[in-house]
Amino acid sequence: MSGLSTHVLLIEDNPGDADLVRLRLVESNPRVEVNCVNRLADGIKSLSENPPALVLLDLNLPDSRGAETFRRVLENAPDVPVVILSGQNDQALAIKALHQGAQDYLVKGGLTSEDLDRAMRYAIERQALLRSLEISRKQQLEFKNRFLSHVSHELRTPLTCIHQYVTILLDGLAGEMTGEQRDHLNTVLRSVNQLGAMVRDLLEAARAESGKIVLEPRCVSIGELIRVAIQMMRAGAGQKGVGLEISVECGLPFVHGDPDRILEVLINLIDNAIKFTPADGAVMVQACRVPTDPDFLCVSVSDTGPGIAPEARALIFERLYQDPNAVDNNRKGLGLGLFIARELIALHGGRIWVASDGASGSTFSFTLPLYSLPKLLFPVIIQQGRLRAAIVLLQIGLRPSAKTARGNWKEACKRVRDLVERCVYLDKDLVLPPMTNPGPDQTLFVVASTDMERSAIMIRRIVEQLKKLEEFKGDGALEVSASEVPLPDNPESVSLEQQVQAVAERVTAMTEAVLAGQKAH
Amino acid sequence: MTKAKILIVDDDPDLRQALRLRLRANHYETVNAGDGYSAIAQAYKEHPNLIILDLGLPAGDGFVVLERLQHDDKLSTIPVIVLTARDPQSTEKLALQSGAAAFFQKPADNGELLHVIEATLQQAETRGGLPA
Repeated sequence: MSGLSTHVLLIEDNPGDADLVRLRLVESNPRVEVNCVNRLADGIKSLSENPPALVLLDLNLPDSRGAETFRRVLENAPDVPVVILSGQNDQALAIKALHQGAQDYLVKGGLTSEDLDRAMRYAIERQALLRSLEISRKQQLEFKNRFLSHVSHELRTPLTCIHQYVTILLDGLAGEMTGEQRDHLNTVLRSVNQLGAMVRDLLEAARAESGKIVLEPRCVSIGELIRVAIQMMRAGAGQKGVGLEISVECGLPFVHGDPDRILEVLINLIDNAIKFTPADGAVMVQACRVPTDPDFLCVSVSDTGPGIAPEARALIFERLYQDPNAVDNNRKGLGLGLFIARELIALHGGRIWVASDGASGSTFSFTLPLYSLPKLLFPVIIQQGRLRAAIVLLQIGLRPSAKTARGNWKEACKRVRDLVERCVYLDKDLVLPPMTNPGPDQTLFVVASTDMERSAIMIRRIVEQLKKLEEFKGDGALEVSASEVPLPDNPESVSLEQQVQAVAERVTAMTEAVLAGQKAH
Repeated sequence: MTKAKILIVDDDPDLRQALRLRLRANHYETVNAGDGYSAIAQAYKEHPNLIILDLGLPAGDGFVVLERLQHDDKLSTIPVIVLTARDPQSTEKLALQSGAAAFFQKPADNGELLHVIEATLQQAETRGGLPA
């Protein structure tokens, strides 16, 4: 530090210790600039107003104690090196802070200026090194993902060409073919499709890894999705002589998830199951409630294949995992499918696992959160332990203008949703997930913590924003209205959960009435 | 009924040829363009009923073509189907917002593509019959 002026923030509440440390600092470097505060709150303020080169931190302060003190400093200044000032008796605490990312610790009694100088130099150097390592790690990850996305794009062009000409030949557009020629071409087509799936998985895995997958959750019937998946896989299973069975518990509640992504997981698991099941075997897809957890549904895909060894079960969801004992003469994939499935399920807040008794098949299961209006409503309509004074249900009816047919109405509805979300306060208003509503007319609902009078302002704001969209110019219709949600009569006598439940039931009844009215038209 | 005319815009001649074979077998008339500039020129000259548009193109990429089509009174009524190797997550939304009627990633399923072409043509025809 010699020669350079260094700004040090000293957070220490004992005046004697503070003076001593300040003295040692100036001894080691006359140009050091010390800012001394005795409370954590002042320290945090100083961190943001005048960021220091280093923090010397006492963990036990009047307004914060122990590991929490370091955590708060780290949270406010993740890039500033911190050296802990520890007493004789609390070194264990200091060591704990080291594990959490503090650069060093010094015991206050017997502190020399040389010790202090060396500790500070090293702390600053190490922190700088760590930061540059972190930056280069991020750059490498970014580079890898850009590379993968570029490669998968470039591979698609020749792949498309092969696919096109093979199907042209197979469809007889270039003249009739013998049965043998057809067989060979079908082999080519299968390989091309495999290659296409691998290219898709590469891109998807890169995206999952860099956190670029964005879910578009809605209220989804899992039974419907399973039936769609089975329909798509039926031909492949039939060719191999594998039976596909479905067993969905009656009256299953809806789940809260992205239907495209859930379908992707289902197809992946069913495809795997078919691959590992011998002819005459069967694959069974089931959906049921989770007895131990009422907030989740469980979906499972079982096969009658060779099963999975216990040591493989632990690794099977990792990237690039390949079953070393796969006897199937089918070519292996890239080993990314289950990794992608795990990432997608984790994004939904569920979990995925495999059970197998090692000899008679295996069962892949995953859980998905139930769609629960009370759960979504709770943080919005309960404030400081009380139900809001007034709640209003906004209803936004959308009908495309005739011109919209050219664009895409589904996309437009998504944009409407984005816009509406920007018009409300996310901590006190809730835009309900899209309801299954066939046909072009769509209704969006918002539960707003406001009264009828103030909801008029909200409506004006929403209409103003939506009128800017192409789709509602001309004859496109946009109707926004509000109705009051009746609140429970004597809220004090029942629990908060019951109050929210009551509000949710009323909101559900109101939305259902609106949607039923539309169907009747 | 006259055959519908489809303009195929793709910079890869092999892919243009493949698509031409496929469309002709399904009784469409086809014309070609290999870059953004000739796509607009061909659209003017040939008055196609529909355009199949690749996004990665020399001389003005697909989005430039989409924008020019949208802002030209004579061309803005021609429906466009985007057929590209690009990642749908980053481009599908943008393409539809820029006025495309549909989006397909290469390699597209032939049956599905033909189905959407037919549906889009029918939609354009009914709309064309009504006063704007």
